[in-house]
Formats: sequence, structure tokens, C-alpha cells
Amino acid sequence: MTDDKDVLRDVWFGRIPTCFTLCQDEITEREAEPYYLLLPRVSYLTLVTDKVKKHFQKVMRQEDISEIWFEYEGTPLKWHYPIGLLFDLLASSSALPWNITVHFKSFPEKDLLHCPSKDAIEAHFMSCMKEADALKHKSQVINEMQKKDHKQLWMGLQNDRFDQFWAINRKLMEYPAEENGFRYIPFRIYQTTTERPFIQKLFRPVAADGQLHTLGDLLKEVCPSAVDPEAAAVIHLYSQLKHPNHLHPRKLNNSSACSSKHDYKLFGAFLKG
Amino acid sequence: MAEEPQTVLQLPPSSAAGGEGLTDVSPETTTPEPPSSAAVSPGTEEPAGDTKKKIDILLKAVGDTPIMKTKKWAVERTRTIQGLIDFIKKFLKLVASEQLFIYVNQSFAPSPDQEVGTLYECFGSDGKLVLHYCKSQAWG
Repeated sequence: MTDDKDVLRDVWFGRIPTCFTLCQDEITEREAEPYYLLLPRVSYLTLVTDKVKKHFQKVMRQEDISEIWFEYEGTPLKWHYPIGLLFDLLASSSALPWNITVHFKSFPEKDLLHCPSKDAIEAHFMSCMKEADALKHKSQVINEMQKKDHKQLWMGLQNDRFDQFWAINRKLMEYPAEENGFRYIPFRIYQTTTERPFIQKLFRPVAADGQLHTLGDLLKEVCPSAVDPEAAAVIHLYSQLKHPNHLHPRKLNNSSACSSKHDYKLFGAFLKG
Repeated sequence: MAEEPQTVLQLPPSSAAGGEGLTDVSPETTTPEPPSSAAVSPGTEEPAGDTKKKIDILLKAVGDTPIMKTKKWAVERTRTIQGLIDFIKKFLKLVASEQLFIYVNQSFAPSPDQEVGTLYECFGSDGKLVLHYCKSQAWG
């Protein structure tokens, strides 16, 4: 159980060194220096970039500022995706720091959702937590919680408080002794080779014969092209442990992804506790 | 009401078992949608085979939100929640500035760019996806 806690802490405290640069097209009153920040992998861009916003707005006139948005090498960054996911999908093979361009105009309506307030981020985060629990426990655990417990999950994320978050989240990670696991595993598989959004399907943690399903089993069932040695597709498989209570794919490189020698019991390694 | 050039195909409501008629959801030609939603071509027949291109959605009003006359819809799997919201707002003649929230399992509000096909896979039952819609936040 101790090494599980270490893994949980490692995931929670994962950081990406990032360099924010103002887009050349933005109108400034003087030169804007780049801004450096360590981004938490488990959080959301619009939640952790207030300082970035303030820094660049200092050199701009109010009338030239509208909603902030971020872009990496021409790709608008979806604020509602966890930061670690964005990085692994788009920039993991590039040298650090992650170079993100900041914009204050020409919001790309077709590519991005608006983020009108911190409340919007909270609503999105809580919805993800609820969706995950709908799969794990038919929403029973999260619905039985009090409003203050929900608030604590959010505050834990917002304030980077591991213990505060996990005091509540551990209840969402439990299952009855007589069961061998959750009803279904919440997961999303993102592929870099397609425009299609993520794959999300029903997947039980235990097979009919009582054996625990492995990560390889999951891939074989929902994303068979991923385990085809001939396929050129690079799958980004994330183990963003329990964030936000979804198993996001973990990155594997080409050939090792396909050999599937990684027999991670879905429960033992990643989701137990 | 002023009729824009609409491409909604209305099948006459069936009085056979099954109740209300299934209607195609057409794309909003003026409202931009997140790129993951595909346009629906009116009049497309569902291809035979296991993966139906369209899924059945049952819309239920919450609270004092107006009730849709047609509640059952056949919708392309790739249609997004935002696309569905825009459609319902138009159908109910709500103004663009009015908010509309959609809930799954009466518990969570999926992201606007979420595809209905994925929601159906994970949360559908008895061959359909039940969605509750509300002008205010019903389940937080």
C-alpha cells in the first residue's frame, strides 16, 4: 500500500516546465518577456495561469485584451483537457521547456470551449468526477457525499493539496469486499494519429472467469490497432492515475506498445487503493 | 414563426408501438460547432450492420423547462452535446443567450464537445440514451 501512495504522489506532483511567450500579433506597449512556470500535470491551463495572464496584460492596453487562449505549434490547447494529457499528446518528444504561445484575441471558436470563470472549470472537473463514478459505482458513492465533500475535491485540486483531495477521493476508489473491483473502469484513449476524439467504452475490470483484466486486454478489446505490430500508429497511453478519476492512456513508444509484455493488472498497479 | 431554410426531415409520428416518430437531426448551418461533430445529411438511411450510424435519444425536460413535442430522436453518433443543445434551443425557440444544460443519468453534465455516440456506448440502456435538459443547473 505504501508504494501505491508513492505512485499517487508522483502522479499528483508531476510538473512540466513551460515557457509562455506572447503571440507576435498581439499589440503591446512594450516588449513582453517570456514567462516561465512549472505546470501541474493533473490540473487545467486556465486554473493555473493567472500569473501568466497578469504578466502579459501589464504590457497591453485594456482594449486589446479579450479572452486568453493558448496554442502550441499552431494547435489551440483545450483548457478542459488535463495539462499532462495535452503535453503528452503534442509535445512530449520535443525538448523542454514546453513552449506555449499566449493569445488575447481571435479566439478560435471552432476549436476551443470558452472558459468564462473558475466556476466553469470547477463544473467541468466535477462533471468528470461524476461521470467516472457513474461507471465505477453507478454514481452511488459520489451522490451519497455531501456538498462539502465535493467542494473539498475541487479545493484540493485548485490549491494543490494532495491530502485534502485524497481524503475524499479515496472513497471513490473503494469497492465492496465481495466484488473484485469497480463496475466498469473509467478510461479514455487518445490517439495522435487521428482527428477522432478519445475512445471511451464500457470495460469490466474482471473477466468472466474471475481473472483480473490487464492493460493489454483493455487495448486489445477497445483499440486493437494499437496492439498490431504492423501498425504505424503511435498510441499515447496515459496512466494519469485517477485524474480526474479516468485512466487516461499512458505513452508507449511504437514497438513496445505492441509487444504488450506489460502485464499490468489494472487493479494491482494503477487503481488499487 | 419565421421559417429559415430548414433541412429537418419530419417523419409523421407513428401511431404504431413505439409511440413518437423518429426524426433526423439536421446540422445548424449558422451555429458553429466544435470540429468533432459531423454534419448530418438529411434522409440518410441507417446502414445495415452492427454499428448503426445513428443512435436513439430520449429527451426529458426538467422542472419548468418547456417540453419538446417530439421527445425521441435518431441522432448521428458524432453529433456533439453542443450540437444537441443548439438544436433543442432552436426547437424550443429559446433565445441564443438563454442557457441550456444537458444531463446524463440525472447526475452529470457532459462537456459540450462530447459525442453522443460515446455517451450512448457507456450510458445507454434499452437501446436509447436518455438525456435530461434544463434551463438552469439541475444537478450541479
